[in-house]
Amino acid sequence: MPDPFPLPWPAGSSTRPGEVSDGDLLLRTARGDRAAFSTLYDRVAPWVFGLVRRVLRNPAQSEEVTQEVMLDVWRTATRYDAARGSAQSWILTIAHRRAVDRVRSEQAAADRTELVGARSAEVDFDQVADTVTTRLEVEQVRRCLDTLTDLQRESIQLAYYGGYTYPEVAQRLDAKLPTIKARMRDGLIRLRDCLGTSKG
Amino acid sequence: MTESDVHTLTGPFVLDALPADERARFEQHLTECAFCTTEVAELREAAVRLATQVAAPPPPALKADVMSAIEQIRQVPPLVPGGRNELARRRLGRRSVLALAAAALAVATTGGIAIDQYRDKQAAVQANERVAAVLAEPDARTVHGPVNGGGQATVVVSARADRAVVVLRDLPELPADRTWQLWLIDPNRTAHSVGLAGGDLTTVVNGSTGKIAFGLTIEPDGGSPAPTLPAAAMIPMT
Repeated sequence: MPDPFPLPWPAGSSTRPGEVSDGDLLLRTARGDRAAFSTLYDRVAPWVFGLVRRVLRNPAQSEEVTQEVMLDVWRTATRYDAARGSAQSWILTIAHRRAVDRVRSEQAAADRTELVGARSAEVDFDQVADTVTTRLEVEQVRRCLDTLTDLQRESIQLAYYGGYTYPEVAQRLDAKLPTIKARMRDGLIRLRDCLGTSKG
Repeated sequence: MTESDVHTLTGPFVLDALPADERARFEQHLTECAFCTTEVAELREAAVRLATQVAAPPPPALKADVMSAIEQIRQVPPLVPGGRNELARRRLGRRSVLALAAAALAVATTGGIAIDQYRDKQAAVQANERVAAVLAEPDARTVHGPVNGGGQATVVVSARADRAVVVLRDLPELPADRTWQLWLIDPNRTAHSVGLAGGDLTTVVNGSTGKIAFGLTIEPDGGSPAPTLPAAAMIPMT
């Protein structure tokens, strides 16, 4: 009989064997290690910049906010607690929060008329995939997004990439507030289970 | 706000989709809801992966600006171990375990099968204590995954205790002549039966140390000596 138990191992982190993890780089950064911070910058800046630009749309503002985020990472690395989450999660949480705060404070919402859908969320492989993230990971996340219902996916994308609040999302999708809140949560739960990112 | 309302806010919070006033209220709530804190951390790990879809290299000059700016920026002092913040964090960690235990116990005492199984109150108390003992182990780790056909399986495993708490929730209804069977898989991929379940339940299973996965299968009434495949759930524990 062929292998009776094809175990669905969770997807590995983006760290290759023998490579220093982002978490280690962040811990070294916390001790004032500029070389570690420099390496960490090279690893995470494309995620930070790409995400901030996606939310803000304005390239000049995006550079400014990316710089603020990376300086925040340097300044507060001492407060990073590996027991409470990955370095990637910690840094991108700072980035997303700053981008969203900026977009709301400046009422830049008026400029954000473009469609924030699955199509527009596609990464330019030629430009970045092979250098900053693996094609495999991008495809895995997209596959997992495809397992969500339309309402779950659209709610999450409008909030995460568009920077909209849940009442704004509800209005755009013509859905009730409690429905959107619940779809954001159960959509993320499904995404978590699909990606195998549960804390363990 | 009702309890369930507060709970669904973890989704919008992680996506930074709460309006400012609700965000402030929820952040306050987070300081006293360890269960929500855990869920926020987990959902955040998933949400940030969305950034991989839009990655783009920043202009090279930006790095030079950042590297030169850090020369002028003092890093904030670390939280002193044993200091006030650290103690608060430890209390939170402790509460987190207790909240998890409380949630598991709530499932144990409200699930129909559990009530049947533990009709004897003394037995129920002992079962709850066994669950709480595993959850309180400092090395307790949580893994979970979906069950085919619906529902969730969560396993809190402690190598120190050589035990695991299994929580099955929202499982689909089985025909009367079928039962759920729980397995622990060893590194040779041999499945060891650790019990049967008629539906949702919380239970403690022994012998989890050295096992690489938890399995859940649907079997004829009374269980089977070997798992019937495909499994309804197979959750790596390593």
